[in-house]
Amino acid sequence: METLTETKVKSDLRADRPWVCVVWDDPVNLMSYVTHVFILLFGFSKEKATELMMKVHVEGKAIVNSGTREEMELDVQRLHEYGLWATLQRDDEI
Amino acid sequence: MSGFLRSGDEKIGITLSSQEAHVLINLTEQIIELLGEEDGGSHLSDGHTVDDLMRMVGISTNDAPPIDPVLLRLLPSAYKNAEQSAEFRRYTEHGLREKKRANAMTIREALIPQDEDWDNDSPLDVAHITTVIEAGDELSWLAGMNDIRLALAVRLDIGVEKDTKPQHEKYELMVESDPMKAVYAVYAWIGWLQESLLKLL
Repeated sequence: METLTETKVKSDLRADRPWVCVVWDDPVNLMSYVTHVFILLFGFSKEKATELMMKVHVEGKAIVNSGTREEMELDVQRLHEYGLWATLQRDDEI
Repeated sequence: MSGFLRSGDEKIGITLSSQEAHVLINLTEQIIELLGEEDGGSHLSDGHTVDDLMRMVGISTNDAPPIDPVLLRLLPSAYKNAEQSAEFRRYTEHGLREKKRANAMTIREALIPQDEDWDNDSPLDVAHITTVIEAGDELSWLAGMNDIRLALAVRLDIGVEKDTKPQHEKYELMVESDPMKAVYAVYAWIGWLQESLLKLL
């Protein structure tokens, strides 16, 4: 039987679980452009940005950042400004 | 030779034939117009719409995803869940539209002749134009050109499917007289332009 404390711990875990920002593959956006936008918005190194861009390209999507829901909404908004196809979701829904 | 170049004084400039400039000006104007279109709204008795008032504070009363596939590509949904997506759209879509319009306007204003009598139907009377990209405007150019490519891609049916090779081949094999081949050529050309700017950044 589940105790009240256990239930509370579970819901707390869920609340702590971060949200993630996912970028989806889009054949229109140039690879060099996507890399550039990643460096610009997330301050990644060229290597890290290129690696993530390749992950999007090869696997169809990649998580580019995680954090609170508000932070991820802001990331998605900025990615949309640059024309990248981005969504956000809880990290356990991926 | 058209494209972006960094000059001796470190400034980035773009050189285009007048025909190329015309094409870019025309496309930015289409993007500005498309993003400015709002879908209706509930009317108040004094002639203002609820939308007008909400827009002043950056909130849209229309939170449905755009029906036009081009607009949907430019203003995608942030969540898979329709309800969450609608809420996000209500608070952010207006700002996103404005940002994209501003990027297109930056490109347009850099290219249109300063002559007040000029309109889109009159020919640019120079063979080539060279314009300096104002410092800080590079990103508007990159994002603005990307929006044009996204819009053209929808018309060209270059979708979000993984394999686009057949579509590219289809256009390359098309006869010269097919208007879609010209659209594809513009799409490819703007990609090339975008790449030439990226190399300078």
